[in-house]
Amino acid sequence: MNFDSALQTFFAEAEELLVSMESALLRMDEGETTPDIINEVFRAAHTIKGSAGLFGLDDIVAFTHKVENVLDLARDEKISISSDLLSVLLPCRDHIAHLVDNALQENANDAECIAKGDALINALSPWLGAPPKPAAPAQAVLSSNMDKAVASERDLWHISVRLGPDLLRNGMDPVSIIRFLGTMGTITHIATLTDNLPELAEFDPEQLYLGFEITLESSATQSEIENAFMFVRDDSDIQIIPPRSNISAYIDLIKSLPENTHRLGEILVKSHVITYQDLEQALATQKAQAVAQVQIPLLGQILIDDQDVSPELVNAALDKQKKNQERRAGPENRFIRVDAERLDKLINLIGELVVNRQRVDLLASKLGNTNLTEAITSMGNFTEQIRDAALTLRMVPMAETFQKFKRVVRDTAKELGKEIELDIEGAETELDRSMVEKLNDPLMHIVRNAMDHGIEPVAVRQSRNKPSAGTISLKARHDAGNIVIDISDDGGGLDLERIRKKAIANGVIEEGVHLSRHELYQLIFHPGLSTAEKVTNISGRGVGMDVVKRNITELQGAIEIDSEVGVGTQFTIRLPLTLAIIDGFHVGAGNIDFIVPQNTILECVDLGSLNHVQGQSCVNLRGEQIPYIRLQKLFSLKAVDESREKLVVVQFGDKRAGIVVDVLHGEIQTVVKPMGPIFQALKGIGGSSLLGTGAVALILDVQQLIGFAINKEHSRTGSLVPGAQE
Amino acid sequence: MNSLSKQKKNLAEKISKQFLTFRIGNEHYGLELSQTREIIEYSGITEVPLMPSFLRGVINLRGEVVPVIDLAVRLGRKSIEVQRRTCIIVVELTNNDQHHVLGLLADAVSEVIEMDDENIEDAPSFGANIRAEFIQGIAKQGEEFVVLLDANNALSIRELAHLVEAELQ
Repeated sequence: MNFDSALQTFFAEAEELLVSMESALLRMDEGETTPDIINEVFRAAHTIKGSAGLFGLDDIVAFTHKVENVLDLARDEKISISSDLLSVLLPCRDHIAHLVDNALQENANDAECIAKGDALINALSPWLGAPPKPAAPAQAVLSSNMDKAVASERDLWHISVRLGPDLLRNGMDPVSIIRFLGTMGTITHIATLTDNLPELAEFDPEQLYLGFEITLESSATQSEIENAFMFVRDDSDIQIIPPRSNISAYIDLIKSLPENTHRLGEILVKSHVITYQDLEQALATQKAQAVAQVQIPLLGQILIDDQDVSPELVNAALDKQKKNQERRAGPENRFIRVDAERLDKLINLIGELVVNRQRVDLLASKLGNTNLTEAITSMGNFTEQIRDAALTLRMVPMAETFQKFKRVVRDTAKELGKEIELDIEGAETELDRSMVEKLNDPLMHIVRNAMDHGIEPVAVRQSRNKPSAGTISLKARHDAGNIVIDISDDGGGLDLERIRKKAIANGVIEEGVHLSRHELYQLIFHPGLSTAEKVTNISGRGVGMDVVKRNITELQGAIEIDSEVGVGTQFTIRLPLTLAIIDGFHVGAGNIDFIVPQNTILECVDLGSLNHVQGQSCVNLRGEQIPYIRLQKLFSLKAVDESREKLVVVQFGDKRAGIVVDVLHGEIQTVVKPMGPIFQALKGIGGSSLLGTGAVALILDVQQLIGFAINKEHSRTGSLVPGAQE
Repeated sequence: MNSLSKQKKNLAEKISKQFLTFRIGNEHYGLELSQTREIIEYSGITEVPLMPSFLRGVINLRGEVVPVIDLAVRLGRKSIEVQRRTCIIVVELTNNDQHHVLGLLADAVSEVIEMDDENIEDAPSFGANIRAEFIQGIAKQGEEFVVLLDANNALSIRELAHLVEAELQ
């Protein structure tokens, strides 16, 4: 592994750890101070420190070490987690993030940064005043008595290291690795194996002949320990046995190593991982049973058979062991980091596969060979599954995004001197990662605005008979193929009169013009129309709601506002699931192929069979009035015989409308291809897609299309399409 | 040309560029070869509704959806009528670090010519009936003039997008 990519891994990992550290600290701030959470924070700091040490990032090590010391005391319950402590730990986390960032940018830490670090360490000192944690006993005691083993909380790892002979030549030093292991815990025993040392005459001073048997007391995870060997793993033989493993694991280890079995056994016994009796007995039992060709029993079983301990106790111990192992195999092992570009490439290729499958389908149906058709159908099923699986790779839950707001709300509330709670719902709702990134800024802006201008100061809230703490809620949900995110607050609400006055003063609207409530709300998206009366630290710094609106529009989304004075304000952001591949319905109008996203379609009916509402583009569908648009007319397409017109009934949000087309071709899986910047102004078409024939079809953006039709009608007749109005 | 700039030219040796020449009506045009990617047969253009007349539609170029521009309309001529030799020249432009691929409709592709800078005359300030910034220079080939187009200006994505927007208003 080359150094640069290892360093990149460190930065990526540090970033993740800092996120989990922050979220754990915030959970503590909410009163959840279980040992698990304290451990989580500790582990994060500890791992960052360890990895930073490996790369010689001394500033990070020095600072994080102090933080870690405090966390260690908390872990040992020498100090308690208080709100005061958290108020120092949170900025400490930020400072670590800052240091990591500086390292990433290869910036030197300037005086201001150093002073900040010193100040934070000073702030931590009251907690560090507590007596330091007593050193771990030099020797661990672990008897064969299982109940003692259960009682022991010590995590004794056994690490067997046979380093590659060329290690020294490659510029690596085994001592530094062992030293690094030491930062993860306490090395309680280390034996150096010199079996490979040659006669002096043959001795090559540049070659490494040594092996090590190490016992490490540490709460680190297996992967953390493995990371210590990151740079030497390829040429070396590293075996790591987790704490409280079955004795058979040790026996297997002994067998797998080249050295004398007896000596290795001695080393293990000396390192107090197992006792001599354990070893003798287990080896003997195993030998005997191996002769009898019975499956190698677990140590626990042997002990029960020997009636040393009760089965319950062993079960409890095994259970604990299993849990420990599960914890160790935790999230960090279940994820791998993938370059986003590679992922996009995969998804694009799968998109091509999907399109090509359609083409094969088309050809096969012409041939009429049943076997071929069947084979293609089953291939189609797999293609679909591959497509779905690939798409989920890009989906991330909103939780990650929402999580950030906990901190923002906490800090901003403090800064503003307000009491604000954050309520999160639907954090599990998944969204395309590329959208999540672009959604961050608009959400941040709205939330900050809500805190600054929306939520009233405590005194005002009390005078209005509201709870003194305001609430901001973030809710995400799926709705008819869209993602909907609601950001609401129970603050003062938007003052329509003030918006109107400001808009008139800024020349956005003219005096005397009548605007509906919603139209007035939409005015706050107008550039330069900040409704803030004073510019504060939090908002009103030039970037306004117009930027929010623009960001959302760029995501092909829409934003709506609802508000009631004295009750609160709600922003609703509606986003498409802009995924690379969608299920569509292929239709034809004029001489153009169109695709209507399947998830917007309610049904398709013959337009001729419906009762029309007199004089309007509106039909009566089982008692419901459905306004419709003719694609052919709206897009000025070539005319086709009207008697064959079909009505595609679509739904978006809570609105229904019809789209009149000439032909229904059927369902199709389709890859969304962007239309490019030239077509940016084109309304109602969200992208393009390739048909099985190789021809290009245009994908309708139903919501935009209806909006476009309404605008067109509006500008022509001054009235809205019935039923589709706000 | 004054002597100083002539000297400079000589110092820089002969800078020669290759141009793909093609025909629109009975006029000859050239595009820098480095900006052209391939020439394909005219087929299967999908119309895009409500577009201005210079935008003929989109094609599927091996999985990529590419807009096709009627260069004749863009240069202020009569729209191209599709005939046997009508083809689409695929050009790739780099603008502000962004790559754009466009198809250009032309009546026929002629050949690739190599031109020294010396043999390229500046665009006439008037008389070409084409916006001056669309022209990089004029090359004389035998008795014929070849208008060497400045693709970045003639096919400015921003301007094309504005024209589309204006059409839709």
